[in-house]
Amino acid sequence: MLLPRFEFHEPRTMKDACRLMGELGEKARPLAGGTDLLVNMKKKILAPDHLVSLGRIEPLGKLRTENNGLRLGAGLTAAEIAESPKVKDRFPALAEGASRLGSPLIRNLATVAGNLASARPAADFPPPLIAYGARVVVRNASGERILPLEDLFQGPGATTLGPEDLLEAVQLDAPEERSGAAYLKLGVRQTLEISIVNVAAYLGLEDHTIQTARIVLGAVAPIPMRAPSAEKALIGEAPSPALFVKAAEAAAADAKPIDDFRASAAYRRDMIRTLTRRALETALARIA
Amino acid sequence: MTQLITLTINDRTYDLAVPANRTLADLLRYDLGLTGTKKGCEVGDCGSCTVLLDGRPVNSCLVLAVQASGKTVTTIEGLETDEGLHPLQQAFVDHGAIQCGFCTSGMILSGKHLLDGNPSPDEAETRIAISGNLCRCTGYQKIVEAIRAAGKSTQE
Repeated sequence: MLLPRFEFHEPRTMKDACRLMGELGEKARPLAGGTDLLVNMKKKILAPDHLVSLGRIEPLGKLRTENNGLRLGAGLTAAEIAESPKVKDRFPALAEGASRLGSPLIRNLATVAGNLASARPAADFPPPLIAYGARVVVRNASGERILPLEDLFQGPGATTLGPEDLLEAVQLDAPEERSGAAYLKLGVRQTLEISIVNVAAYLGLEDHTIQTARIVLGAVAPIPMRAPSAEKALIGEAPSPALFVKAAEAAAADAKPIDDFRASAAYRRDMIRTLTRRALETALARIA
Repeated sequence: MTQLITLTINDRTYDLAVPANRTLADLLRYDLGLTGTKKGCEVGDCGSCTVLLDGRPVNSCLVLAVQASGKTVTTIEGLETDEGLHPLQQAFVDHGAIQCGFCTSGMILSGKHLLDGNPSPDEAETRIAISGNLCRCTGYQKIVEAIRAAGKSTQE
């Protein structure tokens, strides 16, 4: 398969990248790992006149501790995030999400920013990041804005990013002292798979009751969605298997799945129930 | 759209003029005649185009040659030396892990990356390491055995 022709730009700084995106706007697409964009170009779904490659902008590839949390450069690959000791120790659900993306080969190219910007409802990065309360840093030639990751998604393939915007980083606050989180993905295969459903759960305890609960469902709505009834059922209660069954039932009711070639809506709803319960149990077990 | 790039491929440095829309896979096969790297699906699903880019296995069909400028590439051709086959290649032969051979380059390079970091992988770790490489012939069993055996043999 041949790629269409394009002008190729390789800025070395975010400033230059933003300037280019500002000048070129709709005629340009940012290129990071290429595992989504180049595929779409090969299939003739997209044919941008310009590609602005972000791969030589060093700060985008940095992962660092910031305010006791983490700052993930937008250009970090799924493999780098999955293998990072800082991520595995403190944000295990994020390491899980990163490690289930695509295949080991894809993970060595695909970036967190690409997975967020492509806004697929079944994507692996959004649920655990949203469960951890992540924010994204968006930059363009006029400046920077920071927003909750949840607010980025508008629909399948659609985000609030304008044609000149670039994702610069993902910010994660330190998880609460007594908290745990988990990410589970269900696919027909164990690898190279787009989720039938996926679930991320985050629980924060104070004394013996749940203070914080975030449950994020993937592939059952146009965007990764929170499960508000499930969260409501959990907050203020003492964790127990029976409570988790109740919350899982509520999550299944919150979900808005459709029938498609991967699964029926009914099966998806069923699996949300199962995965939510399991994710909650694992999240609880991870609380020290 | 043509750019000048410098690549180190199998320890040799190449200065090349390439169009921006040439993939690394096409560069290796058509411009350099290194046809050990295969093209199967061309969209990152089959792994037959696997090469090591700065030591990490990637789908070369999804890397632009211009993105690889300044980087190090290892293809299957880079494993054999004057002394003979790389232990991994020999293990594949010895264990009957090659039928049509189309997946083999990618399997060996994914296996090499695994063994470089973990000389004694268990079965699950080995299967995960090759989970981006599809084989239509062998059913994977002998490939897994060959990789694990090669790890053991280089330890002895």
